Amino acid sequence: MPESWLSIALRALVIGLLLIWSVVPVSLIVLSSFKPTPDIFTYPPSLLFEPTLEHYRTLWEKWPDFFLTLRNSAIIALCAMTLTVFSSALAGYVYSRYRGSALAGSAVFMVAIRLLPPIVITLPLYPVVDFLKLSDSYTLLILLYATFFVSLGTMILKTFIDGIPEELDQAAIIDGATELQILWRIIIPLSAQGAVAASIFVFVYAWNEYLFAFIFTTTRAKTAPVVISEMMASLNGVDWGLLFAAATTQLLPVVTFVVLVQKYLIAGLTAGSVKG
Amino acid sequence: MRKFGLTQFAMLAPALGLLVFIILLPSLYVFWLSFTESTYGKAPVFVGLENYIAIWNDRYFWRAMVNTLIVVNVIVYGELILAFVIASVLVKGVPFRRLILAVVLMPYAISEVVAVVIWKFLLDPDIGALAKAMAGAGLPDINWATNPTHGLGLVSLISIWLNLPFTLIIIYAAMLAVPSDLYESAKIDGASPWQGFRYVTLPSVLPAVFVALIFRYIISFRLFSEVWLLTAGGPARTTEVMAIYLYKQSFTYASFGKGSATGWVMVMVSGLIAAGYLHLLYRRGFRQNA
Repeated sequence: MPESWLSIALRALVIGLLLIWSVVPVSLIVLSSFKPTPDIFTYPPSLLFEPTLEHYRTLWEKWPDFFLTLRNSAIIALCAMTLTVFSSALAGYVYSRYRGSALAGSAVFMVAIRLLPPIVITLPLYPVVDFLKLSDSYTLLILLYATFFVSLGTMILKTFIDGIPEELDQAAIIDGATELQILWRIIIPLSAQGAVAASIFVFVYAWNEYLFAFIFTTTRAKTAPVVISEMMASLNGVDWGLLFAAATTQLLPVVTFVVLVQKYLIAGLTAGSVKG
Repeated sequence: MRKFGLTQFAMLAPALGLLVFIILLPSLYVFWLSFTESTYGKAPVFVGLENYIAIWNDRYFWRAMVNTLIVVNVIVYGELILAFVIASVLVKGVPFRRLILAVVLMPYAISEVVAVVIWKFLLDPDIGALAKAMAGAGLPDINWATNPTHGLGLVSLISIWLNLPFTLIIIYAAMLAVPSDLYESAKIDGASPWQGFRYVTLPSVLPAVFVALIFRYIISFRLFSEVWLLTAGGPARTTEVMAIYLYKQSFTYASFGKGSATGWVMVMVSGLIAAGYLHLLYRRGFRQNA
């Protein structure tokens, strides 16, 4: 049955609206960060303008801290990513290759505990963090971010490791390989896709996270989203150009990353939640 | 079958250790705190159920609860409907499929903070392009700072914008997995497109829909940043959601007991939502695929 003209038009309309919805808001911010201030406010938004770096210059001069917090974000996100993937690969391997009711119980614990709203633990952590001198530190945010993604990471890696034939392990065991050798030589190389998928989730989360960073950091470990929120709340009126320059600097690396690795992201999403 | 021993336990230790020390123990401590009264520099005193009774009698608590339930349902079902419409178009095959998917994923990479910046700018009554377009179409301004319905509406919009990629990918992946001969035989039997959707697509993707739904319910129940950055719960505490109420009890009013009690109410509500999910997971999950 040939498709009717109407149904093709409807589908094109849905896709068109979807693209506008996903792209236009972000691109408008990015474009506006290069516009001279008066051009930011023209309506309809101008596409032809004299590109300028004035807002980035202002950002550099007035908010030098912003670039430090961007560096904080990068360090924290990379460390959280490493910690999560390391712990998840070890745990995912055990859950994939071993059985037992205690193990099943701990798997349920792993999933169940992740249902706890993060804000609930901010209150009891506050005094402990103070006591351990971890307040306003990289370590604290790294631990928090890794913890909230280690369950998903483990599920993703378990799903990928399940796909590696166990005969490979058996052959290695006969050859006298230890558990760590199996993991290092066979499992990790073959489940690299899963590790990449898990990394993306943690990285995106840690790079963008607001709640914990807002509550637990003041100066040294402050992250970029917190500074952007401060710029937005500025009492003497919002400097939109500056805000857009900061937002663009914060979002471009992570958006580029996600678009480049979308294949793994989709694989991880379906492995972590549907098959989970 | 290999034997689970000390080595395997050590391999589980980092993951489980993080969860036990950073989530489990603190949440148990919150449970105890919820039965005590304490504030900065004051040791907790046991007060029984007083905190729970106090929040039960606090009209702001109920306002926050109702707001949360409304917003969560708007977000979750809004996403679900959009995801269904879009996924059923994508699944029929579109040109530049990979490019479209990459673009559609973009909002997933955006921070809540930046999303609030973006939508605040778009809808600002004085300068926003979208606000001006809406005014041109005769629609009223969105006054999120003064009108609680507008405030929570915008919060829902931002949240849908950020999270639609997640729901969409899950539904789309589930639809792709439906064997196409099912559609063929339905067509041969003379099913209309609607009947094909109702009797072939829907039953096949229902488990995935269920998972996406529970996931999104639990995550959106935690909603904090969008509200905090947009309205901070105002005007006059009318747009508070549970997480904002908890934050204010704990850190603004420094009433740790009431903050903790709110926390446990949140845990219990999340638990109720999750019970169905866990049941499903346990049934077909880790134990039986041995």
